[in-house]
Amino acid sequence: MSRRIATLAVLALLCAVPLVVRDDYYLHLFIVSGIFVVAVLGLDLIVGYVGQLSLAHAAFFAMGAYTSALLFVRLQWSMWLGLPAAALAVGFAAFVLGGVILRTRGHRFIIITVVFAELMKLVATNWVDMTRGFMGLPGLALPKLSLPGLGSLDITAKSHFYYVVLLAAIVAFLLCRALVRSSIGRKFVLVRENEPLAESLGISAFRYAMIAFVAGAALAGAAGSLYAHYVGFVSPDLFNFSYVTIMLIMVILGGKGTLVGPALGAVLFTFLPELLREASHWRMITFATILIVATLFMPKGIVYPLVAYLVPRRWRLSDAHAA
Amino acid sequence: MKSLRLVVAVAVSLAAAPFALAQETVRIGVVQPMTGPVAYDGNIYVNTVKMLADDINAKGGVLGRKIELVVEDGACNPAQSVNAAEKLVVRDKVVGLLGAFCSTSTAAVMEVAKKHKVPLITGISTAAQLTEQGNPYFFRAVATTPMLGNAFGPVLPKALKAKRFAFLTLNDDWGRSMQASYPKAIESGGGQIVANEFFQQSDLQFLSQITKVKAANPDAIVLAANTQQAVALSKQIRELGVTAPLVGEGAWSSDSYIKLAGPAAEGVYGLVEYVYTIKSPVNDAFVKEFQAKLKENPSKFAGAAHNAIHIMVDAIRRAGAADPEKIREAMERTDYNGLVGNIKFDAKHQAYGQTVYLSLVKNGVPEVVETAQISKAQP
Amino acid sequence: MSASLTILAQHLLNGVLIGCAYALIAMGLTMIFGVMNIANFAHGEFYMLGGFVAFYLVSLMGLNYFAALPVAVAAVVALAIILQHAIFRRLREAPMMTTTLVTIGLSIFLEHVALLLWGPQPQSIPTPFPTKPLSFFGVYTTPLYLFCMAVTAALIVVGHVVIRRTRMGKAMRATFQNKEASALVGIRIDRIYAYAFAFGAALAAAAGAVLGGFIPVEPATGGIVTLKAFIVVILGGMGSFVGAIVGGLMLGLAEALGAGYMPTGWKDAIGFFAVILVLLFRPEGLFKRV
Repeated sequence: MSRRIATLAVLALLCAVPLVVRDDYYLHLFIVSGIFVVAVLGLDLIVGYVGQLSLAHAAFFAMGAYTSALLFVRLQWSMWLGLPAAALAVGFAAFVLGGVILRTRGHRFIIITVVFAELMKLVATNWVDMTRGFMGLPGLALPKLSLPGLGSLDITAKSHFYYVVLLAAIVAFLLCRALVRSSIGRKFVLVRENEPLAESLGISAFRYAMIAFVAGAALAGAAGSLYAHYVGFVSPDLFNFSYVTIMLIMVILGGKGTLVGPALGAVLFTFLPELLREASHWRMITFATILIVATLFMPKGIVYPLVAYLVPRRWRLSDAHAA
Repeated sequence: MKSLRLVVAVAVSLAAAPFALAQETVRIGVVQPMTGPVAYDGNIYVNTVKMLADDINAKGGVLGRKIELVVEDGACNPAQSVNAAEKLVVRDKVVGLLGAFCSTSTAAVMEVAKKHKVPLITGISTAAQLTEQGNPYFFRAVATTPMLGNAFGPVLPKALKAKRFAFLTLNDDWGRSMQASYPKAIESGGGQIVANEFFQQSDLQFLSQITKVKAANPDAIVLAANTQQAVALSKQIRELGVTAPLVGEGAWSSDSYIKLAGPAAEGVYGLVEYVYTIKSPVNDAFVKEFQAKLKENPSKFAGAAHNAIHIMVDAIRRAGAADPEKIREAMERTDYNGLVGNIKFDAKHQAYGQTVYLSLVKNGVPEVVETAQISKAQP
Repeated sequence: MSASLTILAQHLLNGVLIGCAYALIAMGLTMIFGVMNIANFAHGEFYMLGGFVAFYLVSLMGLNYFAALPVAVAAVVALAIILQHAIFRRLREAPMMTTTLVTIGLSIFLEHVALLLWGPQPQSIPTPFPTKPLSFFGVYTTPLYLFCMAVTAALIVVGHVVIRRTRMGKAMRATFQNKEASALVGIRIDRIYAYAFAFGAALAAAAGAVLGGFIPVEPATGGIVTLKAFIVVILGGMGSFVGAIVGGLMLGLAEALGAGYMPTGWKDAIGFFAVILVLLFRPEGLFKRV
């Protein structure tokens, strides 16, 4: 009962944001955070739940952005079509890639994901006929929302697009929650904690890692599509390693293996770099230090334990903490 | 109790509502790379703009108010530049934008300018497509690569005493644009293209590409590179025994390049929009002030900054109000005489009419050996 | 020599020059991986720091070039030992994700410290070598390039000898193969770790210091170098020194020849495709762990 109240309260708060926050700049940050929430929830599936460190996630994000952008520019597909298309396309790419690399374990897996990301960057940069290389694809517009009988809504205003992103983030959260609470999710954790035992029980680590990998990539692709249409522009910079690092920071410091952790991490680590604009190098040095220290001493992350401390148990939305 | 803790935490984190200040000054936003690979040049641009803004303020400012520059770091990263521009327009309420140095970042910031209806002017980004997008809020105060090519291409074979030209450029829109547009102009001057090679921004050594160019036996090599790669490139070209003269767009006349490249910089030609050895009253004064306050010779990025801020202020003055839309309209009617001659904007907001220069490094000084004028861009 | 043969020879020489550098850096990486089971994402930063410290010593402190090189390496080794003691010592039994995240964090940390100290401007180390190129039968090189090749080759040989012949090397290889057993026979695992990490860092720093004469170094260089090193190590086999050497040379040659005879925009893709091929057909790499 109180859990329902808590959920509604949080939802109400989230919906109220554009009404309370009139400043477009902060709304912009909320929107970007929301997009990253979708992306890092996906990353958490493979990193937190299955326990494989994939550094290809930012590449999936960028690939989703490019897919959606290309469909818009060449076929005039609006974001409503582009987003699911991007999710499917990237999910499929992850399926193919996973088939090749998910049997590898250990460090080799991690490095291959890096190589894959770099290769995708090279393609985006050099396949100029398709992607316009460094010039990128500009002019990506946000679509209108046409509801039959209600006419069409213009969602290009930040305060309106916020709700689209909020919806996406909530949907992503619910999907992930359903997944991790299901028997599939339990098998994720078993594979992570004790792979030989899982195998002996007939649970194929490869199969479950693949599920997480593809689902995560699809989420990243969807997030990429949102990002592309919101920013209005894609370029090969999206493949830079800096996106990988920030996503990892969001997941790890947020609390891998939970859902709320990375989601909050996404918000925190979108706002923090912007608020600390002045201190550019010190900012990154601090983040890196926190990452090292947190990894060494705080494997549950920083944000999630903090939230767990602040929020009384009966108000908590999910106990999907399986770290 | 725990629930109170939560409420307090939430309240504190939502309490960040800012409020707009009344505008006493005319605010101009600057998005430039102050960190990242081109930070050195970005910082020169910013320092120049600051110096010139102070000069303008000392003479009374514009519209009876002082100019206030608000500078944000775009780091030549499109996403960061967009964030910077959003902040400048939305929070700082700037009436005009200068930026964002790299063509890809400028392309991204253009969208922000259009969305918020604030005029954006660049003195540096040369990618041709920027003015092809019909964005009415974007102005380019520098010649594009194809325009430079048309101006100097026919002159190069004679000036360099070369017939066989090889291209070795950065593998991005700039380098590709050069290799697409220069050949015709060079051929019209009697030249012949014998090689087209590229290198990546992340490349540290160019031995393979240079060897390939060498195999084509060129009389001159046409390059496009920024300072960091220009130094290694020219050094390695000489180290591999290639003696043909080098001519390039990019860093080739700047002090930082000449100093770092040492003997490899001697005899290098540069196709530049500005060089500090220009002989004119405006430039003499500029160079003197620059040397006094910033302790070095102004590079082409300083020249670009000079153009950008002056054109912006000139437009504000003629607009008669610190209103972005009026400034935009005024900017369209620009007829500005400054550092590099007369500048007007054509229908696509592309500047034309200014002088451009062929520089040659002699004894560490980039002398002007030829000039040309940018004619209106062909549709 | 005919023109095309000369060009081919030039490409081959270029390839060997770069290949030796790749091999040296990869040897260090594979050593750290083999002994400590850590994929050191900060490896390229050791290269970068080696270059920057050498630059600092020669350019700003006026130290003699040939003295500056070993001093720069020593400085980076000191840093490595400190890092080992402060951080990696605690990670001996840590899972792979932990160690990888720590090295990623370290890589970001070092890159930004370098940005703070030296700025983003690429710097090349002033060398006392004459810049006039030397040519043999139309193939060009410079005294500096020859020096680089000589030093990197020598260090590769030294590394190989240390691993194979010295007591420390044998202890390291024993730790590779069986940590518990090695500990039981009295090998001080902590010390081995420290040596391996320091030695690996030393090799990378030496490469950075020596190559910094003709390849400008900037803080962002670390990331590129790390990527190349990982590619070599995957090709050659993680933990195999011979693999690192052969893999490095092969990658250098493949890139030089590839760029020489194919569109130059895709030069970097050669390494990536090689990795994919290896992964598909021989995942452990060309050589097994030594």
